[in-house]
Amino acid sequence: MNPIPALSLLLALVAGATVLGLLWRARQGRTAPVRADAPLTPADVGSPVSFGALGTLLQFSTDHCARCPGTHALLTRLAESRPGVAHVDIDITHRRDLANRFGIMQTPTTLILDETGRVRARIGGAPNRAGILEHLDDLTGSAHVRLAR
Amino acid sequence: MSVSPAEPRSVKPRTARPDLDPRGPRFGAAITAVLLLVVVFLSLTGASVAALLLLAGLAGLFAWGAFAGAGRHPYGIVFKKLVRPRLAPPAALENPAPPTFAQGVGLVVTLVGVVLGVAGIDPAVGVAAAAAFVAAFLNAVFDYCLGCQLYLLLLRAGALGGAGRAEAGR
Repeated sequence: MNPIPALSLLLALVAGATVLGLLWRARQGRTAPVRADAPLTPADVGSPVSFGALGTLLQFSTDHCARCPGTHALLTRLAESRPGVAHVDIDITHRRDLANRFGIMQTPTTLILDETGRVRARIGGAPNRAGILEHLDDLTGSAHVRLAR
Repeated sequence: MSVSPAEPRSVKPRTARPDLDPRGPRFGAAITAVLLLVVVFLSLTGASVAALLLLAGLAGLFAWGAFAGAGRHPYGIVFKKLVRPRLAPPAALENPAPPTFAQGVGLVVTLVGVVLGVAGIDPAVGVAAAAAFVAAFLNAVFDYCLGCQLYLLLLRAGALGGAGRAEAGR
């Protein structure tokens, strides 16, 4: 092949990889609402600590995960800034059953649980801070209203 | 040596100490991506021997990273000596296991290309280099960790380790 068509193919390869990367990035960290299902308990996910009274940030991590430590730090800070909200980080490196049960295709994956332990939202990848705060506002706000009644 | 701050809420003990600047592997991936693009170009223009030799060299570098650890990769040393002193400190340090696993993935892909190339299937060199380029490019430009994804998918398929299988039998 002559150099000019070869260079065109290289450009197409770089363009294709860029499109893949942009598509991936657009889907990362988005807080997607989940229809409430049966409530979860800490025992369901093998957590030694209890869930939060108003809500829980339930993170799934593995050893081979570059973004999990950063996500852990972010979610810990967010939980500490919200009374009644707990952060639970579950290592699923050796828990294939949990990865299958929750359909986890990437880590970190974070589930936002309400005060009853029902899953309300799901975030794949490193979470977007504003998206989580907005969701926690909804959650803790509505729980306060219910508790005040 | 930095020490990560204590995290009282942590319920997950880390087996490996995070001690890798996450920008190091991305710096290395950028160099690798450019060299893989050169392999694709050489392969497309018919310079089969040069393409095969360069891909074999890159496979060797992947092997170095996969077996010695991502932190001891030659590019990682260049990064530590020349690049990192010019940058601000990293926001967080990283467990070296994920980029090391990714180096192993790169080794497998490039080695398949080299073996097929030695066997006389010249286009395989360009195809393997193109596949590895996409992964290295996504790593360098978008910070996308292909190693994490593959690790989890293999774990779910039961292909990794006895622990996964034991758990599956519950």
